[in-house]
Amino acid sequence: MESRSRATAIMQFYRQHHRMPSVREIQALFRFRSPRAAAKVVEKLIELGTLRKDDTGRLLPGRAFFALRVLGNIQAGFPSPAEEELNDTIDLNDLLIQNHDATYLVKAQGDSMIDAGIFNGDLVLVERRSDAKPGDIVIARVDGDGWTMKYLAKRGGRLFLQPANKANAKYQPIIPKQELKIEAIVVACIRHFRRP
Amino acid sequence: MSDIPLILSSFPRAVVHVDGDAFFASCEQSRDPALQSKPVVTGKERGIAASMSYEAKARGVTRGMRLFEIKRLCPDAIILPSDYETYSLLSKRLFSIVRRFTPDVEEYSIDEVFCDVTGLRRVFRMSYPEMAQRIKRDLDTELGFTFSVGLAPNKVLAKIASKWQKPSGFTAIPGPDIHRFLSQLPVHKVWGIGSNTAALLSKHKVTTALDFARKDEVWVKKWLTKPFYQIWQELNGRSVFPLVTEEKSTYQSIQKVKTFTPPSRDQAFVFSQLSKNIENACIKARKYKLATKAVVIMLKTQAFRMQWLEVRLSRATAFPQDIVKAIMPAFTQLFRPDEEYRATGIVLTKLEEDTMVQLDLFGEVVRAEKLSKVYQAVDHMREHYGKHTVFLGSSLLAQQFAQHLGARGDEPQRRRQLFKGETKRQRLGIPMLMGKLID
Repeated sequence: MESRSRATAIMQFYRQHHRMPSVREIQALFRFRSPRAAAKVVEKLIELGTLRKDDTGRLLPGRAFFALRVLGNIQAGFPSPAEEELNDTIDLNDLLIQNHDATYLVKAQGDSMIDAGIFNGDLVLVERRSDAKPGDIVIARVDGDGWTMKYLAKRGGRLFLQPANKANAKYQPIIPKQELKIEAIVVACIRHFRRP
Repeated sequence: MSDIPLILSSFPRAVVHVDGDAFFASCEQSRDPALQSKPVVTGKERGIAASMSYEAKARGVTRGMRLFEIKRLCPDAIILPSDYETYSLLSKRLFSIVRRFTPDVEEYSIDEVFCDVTGLRRVFRMSYPEMAQRIKRDLDTELGFTFSVGLAPNKVLAKIASKWQKPSGFTAIPGPDIHRFLSQLPVHKVWGIGSNTAALLSKHKVTTALDFARKDEVWVKKWLTKPFYQIWQELNGRSVFPLVTEEKSTYQSIQKVKTFTPPSRDQAFVFSQLSKNIENACIKARKYKLATKAVVIMLKTQAFRMQWLEVRLSRATAFPQDIVKAIMPAFTQLFRPDEEYRATGIVLTKLEEDTMVQLDLFGEVVRAEKLSKVYQAVDHMREHYGKHTVFLGSSLLAQQFAQHLGARGDEPQRRRQLFKGETKRQRLGIPMLMGKLID
């Protein structure tokens, strides 16, 4: 049990500093008086497969090191959920949405973007921001009363909108006559395959 | 004399006031390009203009104007039912974006915010005006419509600043320039100064805000009450009104007024409308753990005449049947069969915390205990299945029909455009871009 909490502390160090601690740092981490005590812990953890050493004697993560993250202590035989590790999970919102305050929904219509994987009826998440770059899929307003969802593209210094449906010749690049107003950038597309 | 600054320091405090430009109408315009640069009015379900776009304002449409007047004045106006769900979502975003800059934020109303950015120059490596403009830029970009922003040493002046240029303005009033702004501002335009005070001030030859600010302290204290003395202090560059940063956790009174269409002469129907409002008001009271000791019932006739009566209750309550029973005589007294009614309303006043009250002789407490169990269950059902899953028999007539029959009963568009998994009652908490999507 003790080894597990020690391993967790080392894990936290690793996550914070993006490197493994030295034996001295392990000594400081557990407030040991002597480096020998730290070395003992290290030996124990190497035995358990949590840590290993490279040729120069520096510590490296062992086989079991990353398994700790999701499964708790494998050595205990039973994977038990380690609560502190759950802090490292993110929910779908965080995965899909970067800036919640600027994110909006759009219902996709038509098949002009099917080569990009956006189909009729899809729930599309878009973010209002002012730094769209060629290659982004954008929601734009072109000389009309509606939005359109297309790739933003650039040729010869001119921005235009590129549909993504090679099979259908009716979708041609849209070159704005007057202004091209980019309203938002597409960040994700969600599609249900089964009614929830 | 007139060009002597009121204070010398630019921003002893830096208070920013943010005001959404035609907020509800802008929420609508920003999500549908077909509405942009057109006269747009919201409030269709109420029969009056709740908010109007700048294009509609330019045509003379004012707040509270009735729909038929709007149609006459501006036949091409696009009149939309209010979509409070979307407006509230965007309002929350407004607060949240301002909070990125400072925790010192007052949510003044659905479309207005005060925030204090004093001391943050080093953190953001920006001057105060740059910071205020940055707030504006983030809001404009992320919400998709414009805000007017004012920066000044206190709330009263920040409010003057945000109004200075509208829409989409930014105005900073640093201390040494206060007098230049105030000399151009009629005194009744100052936040908190009403027509009565303005009239009193004009008797003393005070017409501009600067005239008022230049009055000496003894005079102000002699002639005016404390709130006006505080306004005078703020006009002089001091900061005396603190920001109210805590969220609203209690209410002085709770009010529910609803219009219905078509108007009605049917006593039972009008009463059921009132009963429904009472149920709604009680839901809110229970949510904030409040109980009322006195209520005011209101009836509005088709001629926009409002009548009301106050009814005192023997015991504080948050249960609609208690109130419905108590107001019955008052309602009969108010209701005239020869009148046509268009709205009913209820105000719960004398609110107090709903703790179990003292025992009485007539077994009322026992009854209240039972009712409170019933309403725990009712509130539970509401959370699961939506408002008015169960309701009082007295509200039946109002519940049977939509609130507004005919054109005014149009639902907000968002309710008709659902994603898989959304229902009429519950939708994703993210605003939707609604306009036509051209393929």
